[in-house]
Amino acid sequence: MVKLGKMIGNIILLYIIFQIGNWVQRIFHLFIPGSVIGMLILFLLLSTKLVRISWIEEGANYIITNLAFFFIPVTVGIIEYYHLFMGKGFLLIVVVLVSTIFVMGGSGYVSQWLIRRKEWKHE
Amino acid sequence: MLVSGLFVERNGSMSEFVIAVLAIIGTFVIYHFALLIHRTWNYSLTAPVLVATVIIIILLFIFNIPYETYMVGGRWINELLGPAVVALAYPLYKYRETLKKVTIPILAGTFVGGIVGISTGLLLAQWAGFESTIIYSLTPKSVTTPVAMAVTETIGGVIPLAAIFVMIAGIGGVIMHHYVFRLFQIDHYIGRGVGMGSASHAIGTATSMETSQLEGAVSTISMVVSAVLVSMITPGLIHIMM
Repeated sequence: MVKLGKMIGNIILLYIIFQIGNWVQRIFHLFIPGSVIGMLILFLLLSTKLVRISWIEEGANYIITNLAFFFIPVTVGIIEYYHLFMGKGFLLIVVVLVSTIFVMGGSGYVSQWLIRRKEWKHE
Repeated sequence: MLVSGLFVERNGSMSEFVIAVLAIIGTFVIYHFALLIHRTWNYSLTAPVLVATVIIIILLFIFNIPYETYMVGGRWINELLGPAVVALAYPLYKYRETLKKVTIPILAGTFVGGIVGISTGLLLAQWAGFESTIIYSLTPKSVTTPVAMAVTETIGGVIPLAAIFVMIAGIGGVIMHHYVFRLFQIDHYIGRGVGMGSASHAIGTATSMETSQLEGAVSTISMVVSAVLVSMITPGLIHIMM
């Protein structure tokens, strides 16, 4: 019970930082989403030790191991648009998937190549 | 009259409350069931987000429940997506020393991913003969939804359509990542993290986190850098290529 209370406290703190991120985004008209700004703010707060890791650790750990859960309602939303992909629209899915393969393979390959070269030099 | 009116009103919000609780608990239970399936079989097609989404879609279909009704509860889960992204700072901080040493490979890969994503999306859609408003909505598909929507708005695409392409890139990446990594012989946690974050944004990051928090942290960096990069270079690249 104490653990659950602590976790909820952690998550409330994360939520407050999220709202600060939203607020920063609105004030400065930034194109980066408030949640990402909140993430950078939390990183800064942790680095400057203004927020101790123990204040967020359990809640953050729980959220991160179950990150996929929070996407479910959004992904279910695809059903609202199934009609778009009937007929020729189906090709759009193929285009997105093929492009995604290139992005994932290309970016991953370049990073891995660079890191292996670096590791090899160090040996 | 007034009393009965109040009662109906109250009854209405009561049933709304019940629907919300049912949708949240239902999603939670289905998610844990999907985790169980994934632990038992462990294929990319059993990714928890995918299995849970399919089960919920089937249930909504069988019981003839509209998406808006499900979202009475779903939007509360959605609301937690914000603090969930904020929480990504935790592994980033935890592994900061390791990550500092590999900044260049991560940035270089992400940069390549950003350019490849925009250009192949644009060329393939053009080649398939789609009109420019659809192409504009498709190009920023590899980055997180709010950024993709903002980019689409700037270049003159259809915003809800952009959000759907982002979802397809996310789920598609989760389904295909095993095969892509095998095809391109990517087995290093940095290559995997950069691939997932660059191609499939936060949904890919969620899947990376299931592998390890370090791979997830790499994916987080990639996702954020990619969002900034794509929003800056998309208008220019489109101008050159169309």
